Amino acid sequence: MNLLEISNLKTHFFTEAGVVKAVDDVSFNVEKGCTLGLVGESGSGKSVTAQSVLRIVPKPGRIVDGKILFDGEDLVQKKDGEMQRYRGKRISLIFQDPTSSLNPLFTIGNQLSDIVIQHDKVKKDAAIETVIKTLKLTRLPDPEEAIRRYPHQFSGGMKQRICIARALLLNPQLLFADEPTTSLDVTIQAQIISLLKDLQKDIGMTLVMITHDMGVVAEMCKCVVVLYAGHVMEIGPIETIFEAPHPYTAALLKAVPRLDQTRKLISIPGNIPNLITPPTGCRFHPRCEYAVALCKEKKPPLEDVGGDHFISCHRWRELRRGA
Amino acid sequence: MGMLTLRRNRKNETGNSASLSGKDTDSETKRRGASQWAVAWRRFKKHKSGLFGLGMIVVLLIVAIFNTVIAPYPARPAPDALKPLYDGEAAQAPSWKHPFGTTRMGLDVFSEIVHGSVYTIYVAVAATLITTVLTVAVGITAGYFGRYIDELLMRITEIFLVFPSLLLILVFARIFQLGNAEPFYSFLGINIPIGLTMIILIVSIFAWAGNARVVRGEVLRLKETEFIQAEKSLGASSWWIMLKHVFPNVLPQIIVLATLSMASAVLVEAAVSFLGFGDPNTYTWGRLMEESYSDMSTTWWSEVFPGLAVFLTVLAFNLFGDGIADALNPRLRE
Repeated sequence: MNLLEISNLKTHFFTEAGVVKAVDDVSFNVEKGCTLGLVGESGSGKSVTAQSVLRIVPKPGRIVDGKILFDGEDLVQKKDGEMQRYRGKRISLIFQDPTSSLNPLFTIGNQLSDIVIQHDKVKKDAAIETVIKTLKLTRLPDPEEAIRRYPHQFSGGMKQRICIARALLLNPQLLFADEPTTSLDVTIQAQIISLLKDLQKDIGMTLVMITHDMGVVAEMCKCVVVLYAGHVMEIGPIETIFEAPHPYTAALLKAVPRLDQTRKLISIPGNIPNLITPPTGCRFHPRCEYAVALCKEKKPPLEDVGGDHFISCHRWRELRRGA
Repeated sequence: MGMLTLRRNRKNETGNSASLSGKDTDSETKRRGASQWAVAWRRFKKHKSGLFGLGMIVVLLIVAIFNTVIAPYPARPAPDALKPLYDGEAAQAPSWKHPFGTTRMGLDVFSEIVHGSVYTIYVAVAATLITTVLTVAVGITAGYFGRYIDELLMRITEIFLVFPSLLLILVFARIFQLGNAEPFYSFLGINIPIGLTMIILIVSIFAWAGNARVVRGEVLRLKETEFIQAEKSLGASSWWIMLKHVFPNVLPQIIVLATLSMASAVLVEAAVSFLGFGDPNTYTWGRLMEESYSDMSTTWWSEVFPGLAVFLTVLAFNLFGDGIADALNPRLRE
């Protein structure tokens, strides 16, 4: 069963320089209780997709078209007041940088319990209890003491645990983690990843990992959505994605260092395109080594290649045979 | 010295963030006194010029509160204010009996300055209150709600910024002085000078615009920070975010602006009074200077000492304001 069904989502930013099509016709589903990886370079529309689901796209951006079905209800049609009850309570978001995503002026206990009080209209004591319980869940040492402290008294990894607890306070069904480990150092990254993995298993919540780290994807996710310049390039279960991928996914994988292979890292030539005037046809064609004339003319459809695997590429048949 | 401590702080900072252990920051960190106010107060206590400014302000407050005790002669319009004249002591140079001398009219300059300090405090506090309320209301609303509200409020702000304010203050001061039948309004037994209150209002109305722009800028910066985004993603309403997260974070800025606007309010009021546009019923320091500027060549003390009082007060507020600004600056935090 799908908890989230995004279809033909278009989120554009109306800047003075022109319309930036950050998310342009994106469709994918998130199965209940599973971890989905949302992958792509910076500027591919990963974060904007998450912001669109929560309807917190910063101005001058807005959702232009499309449907976001969450538990059968279209979030795009909801009024802002109704959306407020979804945010935090049913859908949550973890940010990239835990240091800047906590208010420096308030103690952890105060800022976390405020969220519980606002949503559930409970007394302060009860809210604090919920906070301590959730902080324990994220394995923060000594939560009773921690709630009396200010954000600057914690290390980065601790702060990310607090942020995760904050997102989980109200038992949301769906959790977006927007590059939750990017600003942390490597050892802490591993801890946070395993924490998220365990939490997902224990609570049975649905997790969407937004990342550009293919290693994280391989470790955590059951299925993957690859975005490029606001378009979906490929959707599929983790095994098939790593085996017979789309030229863009292949290029991404080649750019990841591997311990089991000695080879040069190959970066993708060129830059992510300007999204005000994106390339015609397949948006990846200017950087794709397999591009032909057709790629420039026509946008490839997202084709079902079997086994829950979808590819948006004109040449996937030849490429698969070649591989 | 300042640079040295700064560098040491930086070093500590990088030292902390570089530690790879997932362990807590040192448990010895004082738990109490970790709030930004406690930190700011600790920093302020080390700020010498800020403390000096605060000390001068305290002295001024004591003088204003006990003015009748401190001043040897009563305030005008009491007839005894002119006692030096009847004693044949007009236009005397500073002496033990008249520390700041006497005016040509026979007023004791020291007494006059002591009585005038009450008005100085009134101007500083009242003008700052009004200015700050306007600053906060316009700055936060424009910054947080953006779009049309921002456009409208910022255009209004610009109108206030482009006009030469002193000139307009003088014009309005003259207009509002004309219609006052009663010189004082009695409130809880205190006589509030209406003319001076009018001037305070006018000065405040021309003082908030620049500050509001600063606050708006700060709010715009805060709006982009992740913790505001995070609050939004957790279902907080706009009002909640504004009251609970934006306002407390711009409060340090507002406090600094308020302290500095005390200094400028005192200065502008002195200028208005000196130019003869002040309240004819109150004897502020500016008024004292206006009364005796023609005697500069003879009884210079009757001009210099009120001027010195204005100068020292403005200096005190500025030093204090700088001290607060440094103490609240997050970039210099220990």
